[in-house]
Amino acid sequence: MKKGKVFGLIIVFLLVLIQFVPAGLPDTIAENENDLLYNNQIPEQVAVILKTSCYDCHSNETNYPWYSYVAPVSWLVGKDIREGREELNFSEWESLSKIDKAKHLDNIIDEVSDGDMPMNIYTIIHTDAKLSSEEIEQLANWAEDYAESLFE
Amino acid sequence: MRRYFILMLIVVAGFLFVNFNIADNNIPQEEVKTEKPQYHVPDDVQQIIDNSCYGCHNSESKNEKGKKKLQFDKMSDLKTYKQVGSLADIADVVTEGDMPPEKFLKKYPERQLSKEEQEKLVSWANNLAKQLTPED
Repeated sequence: MKKGKVFGLIIVFLLVLIQFVPAGLPDTIAENENDLLYNNQIPEQVAVILKTSCYDCHSNETNYPWYSYVAPVSWLVGKDIREGREELNFSEWESLSKIDKAKHLDNIIDEVSDGDMPMNIYTIIHTDAKLSSEEIEQLANWAEDYAESLFE
Repeated sequence: MRRYFILMLIVVAGFLFVNFNIADNNIPQEEVKTEKPQYHVPDDVQQIIDNSCYGCHNSESKNEKGKKKLQFDKMSDLKTYKQVGSLADIADVVTEGDMPPEKFLKKYPERQLSKEEQEKLVSWANNLAKQLTPED
């Protein structure tokens, strides 16, 4: 009994201690003048999909739930969002060249169609971010039309 | 005099007919042109691709992942934006040193890209992507 108590106390102590390790959660910025949705006429359904399923990691408009501030979850969330924004940040969309836009749109189609994005670890908790096959099709069709329009 | 007039009429009618036909033909021709640009791969670049990329990235490849991502022999069949997307991806992964993959290079160290080959491949991909892309 005593052993268990000591063990529990050590765990609690460690959990408190790790809260002091910086998580490196990127800042949320609400207004982005180069934002994809802000600058383009995008069908509302597609805009909703992007906001719900992609923007938490692929834009500066991250919505952090309370638990994302608690270590060790915060470390994981911080890493995924840093990597997500670095790979593709919709908040900086208009600053990209046509070539990079084509690259990203092409990759969006592949990633989404293959079910690689959004990531499982994200949709397990954010169930509303999970894409139905209809939403995948909408998103892929939009990306294809948009990419083709860049080359007209 | 009357004969001349008729001849003139025939010539004018013929002229109009030809013009109409040309005008009609022009539309589909232009559409075809924008669809599939063909391009030439310089020999030195082709050699690099053959040595370090083509083994996995072709339409008959047994490496499913590599085949799915990129097929050099089918590249010119793709829509322009997909060609440009692929070329930009090539430039990215080669610059980052992510391709050829480490696992593959352990088995075939001679297929490693030299610094010079890397630069050649990247600048080819970037230049071709630019050529295929209308001005921003």
